[in-house]
Amino acid sequence: MKVSLDIPWQRYALIAELAQRCEGKCPQFGKTVLQKMVYLLQEVFHIDCGYDFDIYAYGPFTPQLLQDLDLVEHTGAVKIHPVVSMTGGYEISPGGQAAALIEKGSDFLNKGEVKKAIETLVDEFGHFWAKDLELRSTIIFVQRDSQKQGKLLSADDIVEIVKQIKPKFTNAEIRDAVEELKAKKYLEPVA
Amino acid sequence: MRVMGKTYEIRDPIHGFIELNEWERDIVNHPVFQRLRRIRQLGLTDMVYPGAMHTRFEHSLGVMHVATKMFDQIVKRRQDFLETELSFTAGGLERDRVLVRLSCLLHDVGHAPFSHAAEGLMDKDPATNKSYKHENYSAAAVAFLMQDVIENHPLNQNYKITAQEIADFLNGRLALGRVLLWRSLVSGQLDADRADYLLRDSHHIGVAYGRYDLNRLLVTLTIALDPETESPVLAIEDGGVHAAEALILARYFMFTQVYFQHTRRAYDHHSVQAIKHLLMEAQRGGDLINKEAFPPPTSRENMEQYLKWDDWRVLGMIHHGLASGHGDILLNRQHHRRVFETPEVPNTSDLEFAEQVFAGLDDLVSFVDKAESSWYKFESADIPILLRPGQGDEELTKLSRLSTVVSGLKAVSRTRVYVAIENKEEAREKVRVLRQQKEAQA
Repeated sequence: MKVSLDIPWQRYALIAELAQRCEGKCPQFGKTVLQKMVYLLQEVFHIDCGYDFDIYAYGPFTPQLLQDLDLVEHTGAVKIHPVVSMTGGYEISPGGQAAALIEKGSDFLNKGEVKKAIETLVDEFGHFWAKDLELRSTIIFVQRDSQKQGKLLSADDIVEIVKQIKPKFTNAEIRDAVEELKAKKYLEPVA
Repeated sequence: MRVMGKTYEIRDPIHGFIELNEWERDIVNHPVFQRLRRIRQLGLTDMVYPGAMHTRFEHSLGVMHVATKMFDQIVKRRQDFLETELSFTAGGLERDRVLVRLSCLLHDVGHAPFSHAAEGLMDKDPATNKSYKHENYSAAAVAFLMQDVIENHPLNQNYKITAQEIADFLNGRLALGRVLLWRSLVSGQLDADRADYLLRDSHHIGVAYGRYDLNRLLVTLTIALDPETESPVLAIEDGGVHAAEALILARYFMFTQVYFQHTRRAYDHHSVQAIKHLLMEAQRGGDLINKEAFPPPTSRENMEQYLKWDDWRVLGMIHHGLASGHGDILLNRQHHRRVFETPEVPNTSDLEFAEQVFAGLDDLVSFVDKAESSWYKFESADIPILLRPGQGDEELTKLSRLSTVVSGLKAVSRTRVYVAIENKEEAREKVRVLRQQKEAQA
């Protein structure tokens, strides 16, 4: 079998691209938002970015993305600043080397379906706070997880499961998010 | 009501005595668990560190022990919070404690021979097109083969814990509902798995890199809401900041000095290739083996076949010369040699040079190893820290915001290139010339 080196330029470039596109659009493009955006890109828009997400009480998460983010910061393609506010966390913004790194991953980013998916992702989810994205990505994880087990959940079932995992959200908040995702056809099929 | 009855103590080099009840002792005595005595914790790490002969058996007991201490500590400090903010009940917490103990005890029963090394030989899940992980095999072993010993023990009468629940816990299934919170005790930044293996591996190998103050960490462990997401997370009270720093540094040193040590990684490669060969041969013999991969964890029959593979079987086959060229390499300690590596945290120019080296070495390259494909990674650590606990103005922040030591540590993303031992000098010369050319261009 031929050995390959496979530097994942496309993953690194994606982080820089999202930082660039979300600048001025996301209320706080931080580490949590990055996790949820890439999760949505893979699950909802079916773009294989090469990440393997697992579920926790704080929603879908992959440590590989944090590892890649560190490297991308080290290349100078993004900057990461601590945020002094009630929410805390970090803010990721494009760095001086963003364009150069994006160019390295241009074969991936310029594919028609990838480009369109990123545009739609940022348009439809870019204005959310981390908390809102976490709720939506968890709802999608719940629905996909059940689907994999051959079980079709109703909207009520989804609300009930998500409420158990995220008790700080009200039933109305969860239901509104379910309905919104259903209306956009990101939550199909639902019983 | 807490499970009582007769208790048993097992002497442990890290934690002193580990206590088991009769139910847990029966589970430990089950053949699926006893197999862990024949799965070494660190594969063939003894080729570099001769003391690394410990097994998943003692580690699994250790994880159960530490997770229980973590659980008890959190409940002791935050029972009100758990009940009022997260809707847990006292009875539910008591049952969760038992579920956590059993899940931690069984979390590694699905490991392949030589532990993580052979994880790359696990079959692909057609639903995700990604390889199954050892956790999926652990869950399947529990669900398909351990139902009786789990569900029908008299001490389970009050709890009615099912094998499927434990499997869901290990797989991270959402059917668990609020119990999912406790999964962070076996898989997360502050989990009992890491807490145990860092200390245990250090002890057996004879290094001090993995040591940290577990007791301090335990008494400062708590739970809080992340203000960014309003999700419950495991955290450390501010009094434990330096213990948390020590844990992160222990992980960093153990990763760079032991788990990702360059010769040790070569032996992971050779052991995987040897097992791959043995799997193909076994298939030829008519076993239920799927090409170069272990059978998928999807049926009782597959799991019975899979669990027949352990270190003893593989080492015996290697010893009898059945594992082809890589088996011979293992027998004669003639491992492939590292001829190039990037910095731990490479920049764009480092990665571009790696591509040049790889192209320049061409057919001499035997394999490429990446930190990201290593089973124990060193990724960014952001342990939540609870400031001013119990003072009415609690605030959750991140360790990396408080500790300049931790904020300066970046995830390790090193890539290495290896060649066969007979090609070492030729390859090193080519790398030297390429490096000179690069420096001349600069």
